Amino acid sequence: MSAINSNLESFRNWKHANLAIAVVLIGALAIFPLFKPPLDGFIDDCVLALAYVVMALGLNIVVGFAGLLDLGFVAFYAFGSYAAGWFASDFFSSINGEKGIHIGAGTFASTLPGIHLNFLLVLVAAVIITSIAGMIIGLPTLRLRGDYIAIVTLAFGEIIGRFAVNGQIGGFKYTNGRQAISPVDALDLPLLKEFDSAFSIRGYYWVALTMVAFSLFVNFRLRDSRLGRAWIAIREDEVAAVSMGIPLVKTKLMAYAAGAAFGGLSGAFLGTYFNSVNANQFQFAFSIFILSMVILGGLGSIWGTVLGAITLSFINSYFIPDVFNGIPGSLGLDFDLTQLSFGIFGFLLVMVMILRPEGLLPEKRRRLELKEGIGADEAIVEVRA
Amino acid sequence: MNVATLPPQEEIRTTPVSERLRKFFSAYGLWIVLLGLPVFYGIKDLQDEGDLSRLGNNLFAGLSNGAIWALIALGYTLVYGIIELINFAHGDVFMIGSFVAVGMWGTVGLALTTGTLGLIAGLLVTLIVAMVVCGTMNVMIERVAYRPLRSAPKLAPLITAVGFSFILQNVGIVWLGSSQKGVPDLIKAQHVLVSVAGIDIHNSDVLALAVTAPLVFLLTTFVNHSRSGKAMRATAQDPEAARLMGINVDTTISLTFLLGGLLAGAAGLVYALYQTNVWYFQGFTAGLIAFTAAVMGGIGNLKGAVIGGLIIGCIQQISDNRIGAQWTPAVVFAYLVLIMVFRPQGLVGEETREAG
Amino acid sequence: MRSRTIVATGCLIGGLAMGVSACGSDSNNNSSGSGASSGSSELTIYSSLPLQGTSREQSQAVINGEKLALAEVGNKVGKFTIKYVSLDDSTAQNPGTADEGQTAQNARKVVQDKSAIFYLGEFNSGGTKVSLPILNKAGIPQISPSNTYIGLTTNEPGSEPGEPNKYYPTGKRTYARVVPRDKIQGAALVTTMVEDGCKTATLWDDKTTYGAGLARNIEASAKAQNLTIQDRQGTDKSAANYRSLASNVKSDCFVWSGVTGENGVQVFKDVAAANTTAKLYGPDGVAEEAFTNPKKGGIPADVGARTKLTVATLGVKDLPDASGVLDKFKATYNTQTVDPYGIYGYETMALALDSLKRAGAKANDRTAVLAALFGTKDRKSIIGTYSIDPNGDTTLTDYGLYTIKNGLPSYEKKIVAQA
Repeated sequence: MSAINSNLESFRNWKHANLAIAVVLIGALAIFPLFKPPLDGFIDDCVLALAYVVMALGLNIVVGFAGLLDLGFVAFYAFGSYAAGWFASDFFSSINGEKGIHIGAGTFASTLPGIHLNFLLVLVAAVIITSIAGMIIGLPTLRLRGDYIAIVTLAFGEIIGRFAVNGQIGGFKYTNGRQAISPVDALDLPLLKEFDSAFSIRGYYWVALTMVAFSLFVNFRLRDSRLGRAWIAIREDEVAAVSMGIPLVKTKLMAYAAGAAFGGLSGAFLGTYFNSVNANQFQFAFSIFILSMVILGGLGSIWGTVLGAITLSFINSYFIPDVFNGIPGSLGLDFDLTQLSFGIFGFLLVMVMILRPEGLLPEKRRRLELKEGIGADEAIVEVRA
Repeated sequence: MNVATLPPQEEIRTTPVSERLRKFFSAYGLWIVLLGLPVFYGIKDLQDEGDLSRLGNNLFAGLSNGAIWALIALGYTLVYGIIELINFAHGDVFMIGSFVAVGMWGTVGLALTTGTLGLIAGLLVTLIVAMVVCGTMNVMIERVAYRPLRSAPKLAPLITAVGFSFILQNVGIVWLGSSQKGVPDLIKAQHVLVSVAGIDIHNSDVLALAVTAPLVFLLTTFVNHSRSGKAMRATAQDPEAARLMGINVDTTISLTFLLGGLLAGAAGLVYALYQTNVWYFQGFTAGLIAFTAAVMGGIGNLKGAVIGGLIIGCIQQISDNRIGAQWTPAVVFAYLVLIMVFRPQGLVGEETREAG
Repeated sequence: MRSRTIVATGCLIGGLAMGVSACGSDSNNNSSGSGASSGSSELTIYSSLPLQGTSREQSQAVINGEKLALAEVGNKVGKFTIKYVSLDDSTAQNPGTADEGQTAQNARKVVQDKSAIFYLGEFNSGGTKVSLPILNKAGIPQISPSNTYIGLTTNEPGSEPGEPNKYYPTGKRTYARVVPRDKIQGAALVTTMVEDGCKTATLWDDKTTYGAGLARNIEASAKAQNLTIQDRQGTDKSAANYRSLASNVKSDCFVWSGVTGENGVQVFKDVAAANTTAKLYGPDGVAEEAFTNPKKGGIPADVGARTKLTVATLGVKDLPDASGVLDKFKATYNTQTVDPYGIYGYETMALALDSLKRAGAKANDRTAVLAALFGTKDRKSIIGTYSIDPNGDTTLTDYGLYTIKNGLPSYEKKIVAQA
């Protein structure tokens, strides 16, 4: 026993322990779909969870790092999805004399009218669109602090959701509203075969996993960069940060833009994965869902956010429908739990928060604050008139 | 001396145009924004139809609709004022109020055939039951979901609030199913009671205003003049100091939730009678609007919540009638953003809490 | 930092373990079927309908009808035993309609099952948009008991550009329906309004695939039959009321192109109150008790008296062949009335079984079954004699006019639509 302990100890002290764990972990995550049927429901749940991780990492930049409470994150999900809807479907079917524009599109997509860009180009477009949108939405909040930022971002989220549902101004049609832009082109990467979700969703899983790895890398680099430290400084004390020479406007806008970019990335992926972009998806509840992931995981903590996103996503799409609802059946009871899934989700949120108010994996700095009471009496609503 | 004081005066005189524009907008921009819609359509009506009755109808319907939002918004603003929490479960408490009220109609035997006196008596009973149920429920939610988190990070109670919101919505789904349910139109909501200068006053309008006005009056009197009200205001300003002064902070917070819940219950009954339909999601939608109203008026401020509610009611009706119902939420939230830009502390935000 | 990473790693591995453990339970049922053309004797027919929310009663009626038809042949066609599996395409978060994610998951589940021979669904046209491309690639025959949206099968006016070809990535048709498409319902509604003496009509839709699609067909028919559409609006489901909007309704007729679950009851109540003379019309999307019966949260009786509905089902008096089935339906499920969708559910399954029968020994071969399905000609059924055309549409064009009596849709007459 002690030998194991000492082995464990020496492993922990080994310089490359983190790296080794990461390699094993990523390897395990990467090959596990091969042990499941190609269209398995569990892979589907994993794809969703990974997409939500990317989304939550984005929101964590805005709320966790920079301390700007954003209740309208769904706007970026919408913009990202519509990037897929606009640039990888036959939505603009009259463009280029109904022949369409095709850049690196898949075989079936190449035969359709409309704009069809390669998935990577769609991602680039999504990131550009959402970053700009993020900055525009950020502008009116610059003078505000605390919950007033929350309400303005919420308002933008609702306005954009409304525009998505209506879909048409005058004669110009920019979304298909609740009739959905569908079908969106299948995921198609250069040099690889088209990922056909009718036969296997493993490809989507691997793309999502790559996106998570990329997002994690960028998040860690951002957090430790000059910009990341500026965000945290602003979060901790805006006045002090400004007097130390941190450019407030630029730093805040960068936070909105960076957070939005991840939302867009994930949104474009989800639009492709769902194969349709329906305005029904872009509701306030989605912003709350993602925010819950960040807060539940531990505000500002990258691993916490990952864990929070995976937990909530699995509770929502795996645990409740596939495990929990089966309980009465396996006990031989004729009772339908699907009706209660909404409430159970809420109950679990309440329980986790009460048991771990600081989140599952709190950021180190926050943990210190909680212990020592730093900033506990900080004024929360601050408005500079 | 003269020479020394001149330069600054020079500076004031030569203030750049942009600066003066900015000053002008920060002084009057808000009013331009608020009055823009009604004035524009007022002029248009005068040109097209020669009188203002259409606009008048819109505004009056807006006031009565807004009265319901005001009742809910008061709950948000009370809670926010005292513990700085956006109580997402509040809208759903209001929804449960509606459901309780509708259930009670059956219990006390109210139907379309009930006579006027019986109706009034029955509705009073229903009103009291709905208020008590919602008040109690709100207090219990605070006890279970918010009090344990009082020293936790600020956003933690936000998530338990969302959790309770989901739980209550689920109760609603199990109770009456997941789509709108029409309920008996007990008060003949859309019957025109009297028409003044082209403005139709419906039964529902009278009901909404007749329930809201006394309740708002009672609440403001209570908060401003009673001992407990003073305790509430003291706790809102500084919980620590209030505790030192011998105020029981926990009781005071519970009282605040009780008041908010009572109003939500009343709003629940009025909503069911006014709209003649109920569904589990009404609280979520109404909560969003009411919260917006509270922020618009200056969150934490009672008067502000009422004004905000009424203004949103009017914007909604004008937009429904002129721009199209599908754009109404966008118009309301665009208004909110503009108000935040011109007056970040809300319309009457300065009066109570120094928001800085 | 390091310890935290290890904790996180542990959690991730825990999540992974959860997946691996779930693996065991899933892989069993997938291997039950065999290759599409091998000699398996068990075939599975899936149905996918919204079992949560407003459409629950109609979905249940469809399922009952399907089960009845299957029971009549003793769960057997030729040498094949037929298994029936009912899937839910709605979710708690998105009840009453087909949820995109859930519908795609259902379709994939069926694709994985090698014994799958028919997919009966979706109930909502918007859902079929999602499941059809997936099932098409796998070549699984699909029949919908209720879809009326025009763009699923044809590019006639009312469809969107690119439809219907974009739903058939293989280029082969795999989808059929037993309900006439909306072109016919739109014409039927307009014909009724014109017959009732309307010169002007207000048209609102619910902005769903079904509602907006049907509205486009109504507009087209109205133009052809000289009915002026005055006010075209889309409604928002979560609006508390539509009174200000309704105060603009000044026409002789009002028609709402939508489903009950999109706050249809409130729409009719508010329009009826704002304009006390307008005649009110609704499509099959509101032909259900949740809409017609005030005791179940539907429109009040006085509004019901002004309302007429069109449904693609004729009454028993015009469907002589149906009475036997209807009696059996009432006896089996112990009900007084048969929901129109019960009849369509029955016919959907009956058509599927008939196709299997005609495919004979090749009933486990999807290609042969598809050929049989599209070869359906002059089929004598409880809803009349019809064929399936190359697009997958039924050749039936009969629409029934219903009024509301005692809180239930009650058959009035057959509409002869002016196309």
